[in-house]
Amino acid sequence: MLLKVNSSPHLNQPLDTRGIMIRVAAALIPAVAASIYFFGLAAIRVIIICVSASILTEAVIMLLRKKKTTLGDCSALVTGLLLALILPPQTTGYAAIIGSVFAIAIGKQIFGGLGSNIFNPALIARAFLMAAYPKMLTTFASPRSVDAVSSATPLALRKFSHNFTPLWDLFTGKVSGSLGETSAICLIIGGAYLLIKKIADWRLSLSMLSTVTLIAFIAVKINPINGSVLFHLFSGGLLLGAFFMATDPVTTPATKKGRYIFGTGCGILIMIIRYFSGLPEGVMYSILFMNALTPSINRYTHPRPFGNKASGKGEK
Amino acid sequence: MIRLKEHKYHQDDLRSQRFLNPQVLLLPLSQHTGKPSVCQVKIGQEIDEAQAIAVEDGFISARLHSPSKGKVISLDKVNHPNLKRAAAVTIQCITENKRYRCLRDPAKLEREGLLEIIKDKGIVGMGGAAFPSYVKLKPPVGIDTLIINGCECEPFLTTDYCLMLENLKEIFLGIEIISRIIKPKRIIFAIEENKKGVLKQLNLFVSMRKFNLPQIKSAVLKARYPQGGEKQLIYALTGRKVNSGKLPFDTGCLVHNVATCFAVYEAVYLDKPLIERLVSFCGDGLKEPKNVWVKIGTTLSELLEKKIIELKQEPKKIICGGPMMGVALAGLDYPVLKGTGGFIFLSKIPLSAEETPCLKCGRCVDTCPMNLLPLEYARAVKKEAYSQLESLSLSDCIECGCCAYVCPAKIPLTHYIKTGKYYVAKSK
Repeated sequence: MLLKVNSSPHLNQPLDTRGIMIRVAAALIPAVAASIYFFGLAAIRVIIICVSASILTEAVIMLLRKKKTTLGDCSALVTGLLLALILPPQTTGYAAIIGSVFAIAIGKQIFGGLGSNIFNPALIARAFLMAAYPKMLTTFASPRSVDAVSSATPLALRKFSHNFTPLWDLFTGKVSGSLGETSAICLIIGGAYLLIKKIADWRLSLSMLSTVTLIAFIAVKINPINGSVLFHLFSGGLLLGAFFMATDPVTTPATKKGRYIFGTGCGILIMIIRYFSGLPEGVMYSILFMNALTPSINRYTHPRPFGNKASGKGEK
Repeated sequence: MIRLKEHKYHQDDLRSQRFLNPQVLLLPLSQHTGKPSVCQVKIGQEIDEAQAIAVEDGFISARLHSPSKGKVISLDKVNHPNLKRAAAVTIQCITENKRYRCLRDPAKLEREGLLEIIKDKGIVGMGGAAFPSYVKLKPPVGIDTLIINGCECEPFLTTDYCLMLENLKEIFLGIEIISRIIKPKRIIFAIEENKKGVLKQLNLFVSMRKFNLPQIKSAVLKARYPQGGEKQLIYALTGRKVNSGKLPFDTGCLVHNVATCFAVYEAVYLDKPLIERLVSFCGDGLKEPKNVWVKIGTTLSELLEKKIIELKQEPKKIICGGPMMGVALAGLDYPVLKGTGGFIFLSKIPLSAEETPCLKCGRCVDTCPMNLLPLEYARAVKKEAYSQLESLSLSDCIECGCCAYVCPAKIPLTHYIKTGKYYVAKSK
């Protein structure tokens, strides 16, 4: 009789890293569908290129590092998918490939692979593309247009010409913008699935969205030109950021208190950028900035052990 | 705290069996928390049932009695679930079951007398930790709340439930004795909601006032793990927190398991030492899950040989204790100890996954009942940075296993924590 001997516990819940990644990918299905509906072949092209380039890069790097392949955990798939969804529809194939390689190689593997990266790989790749191809990354095709007519995003319209896009269009997604960011309803469905299944922690999404709500609520009272609460919630990359980027386990705090701080920080930065900077949108930079602060947030938000009095707190 | 699949078989229809005539008994001298007891017998010596064969050594230790009439055949080391190999007395038994009759009127005994009996009869906490009961009952002054623990929050095990269904009256007589020793203001009898079958009788006993008890009430808690843990149970019932490095009685609470209460009853009323206990045998590797009264020291191999328990298929893993905190055994030659609640035979290994990189998702932090940072412990232990562990309150960890249970990266966090504790202790 051959018996396995290992340390307790001898039970394990079935969810593993792969399961988390697959569920995140599944939660993105509505947003992917919306992007294909609104941007047609352009969307399919960018998504396929980003996903396959990401997976290929991951495979090649693991081969070079002489390590067992990590494709099974599906994290490269999710990174590629997320990157595609935050790129404009008419991103060239070349740029999409460079972005994907950057996301996996520089965004993740250079730090030691999954779990060791500091920044969200998809967001850092987009920031890189933004620097490399500023024109391409800020030109957005109109939704459901036959000949690629470009138009300004709702946030740019608000900022630069004080034009407000109808809320219903923002809600359904019939606006110009990055592939997966336009349809609020699809992102809410995917996000709700992640929160209900406890794949993503609600503290992150909720604190980020409620901070944005609060600031927008005050700002619109001061001056209607600042845009209504719903306008800010539904436009730009906020919902995608709040449900899929700010909830990335690797680059966000591991403590409960830390997650509130992270989400609130993101919300404040987003609104500062939206109101006061030269850019129309700030979700990407806000999350990247908070990613950089995550190790410090973790260090200063250690929970107090059960039964410890206040005096025992704050130890490193 | 987490919710686990219970795996508890026909809950409300539990019946115990008996197997009290084994051939050989292995009796390790260390069956309790504290110093191992000191052997008092020689090889070849004939002994009677209930005769003390080892006495306590130091303040925290417990006496050991022979569960059967017989002859000492060896003093060699035997397998021990927690200590691998440990000094023990091996007894060749002669079947002759002794009868225990009530010899004295416990009502006439004073506090000191009762404590002396509990000490003499080798009673230890039977919930798992096997802490000597007389030590636990002795120093406390100003205990206002006595908590009777019938939670049994580990999956699979049903011994406490079975005991409550069959011997609730005796348990109450045991509580009466404990209550006379520590004189609490109130008693809370706690069970989890998956033991509703005993609730009717329990509430009857609580309301009957037939027993000489102070204010007593029953509490039905949700089935959560690790709610049967002392600190968690005290908090769930009274809202009091046991401070780090302190003992439960600092909060004015004392927790005793129902099986301990039963053992106290037997010791005081029947003059019977702790030589038998109820053990759960369960898991999908067995034909039929059972609760069996066995003598302390009975080996698994003998139970299988005598077909008291029968294998359905070859087990891949045998766990002594519950699946969350129990120890995986390397074979069948392991004895039942005073603190053994059960053996689980698994024909599939649920943990097949290998360790993958930590995602820093914080699920371990969220679930830790002690509010600790398991992922940080694993990181520090892997780097061999043991000095960091103490400042992260490693010693507060109760090793409940919740963190490793929820970890999606399948990191054996509890294993790293135990390793860390070992090195911290070594460096001192």
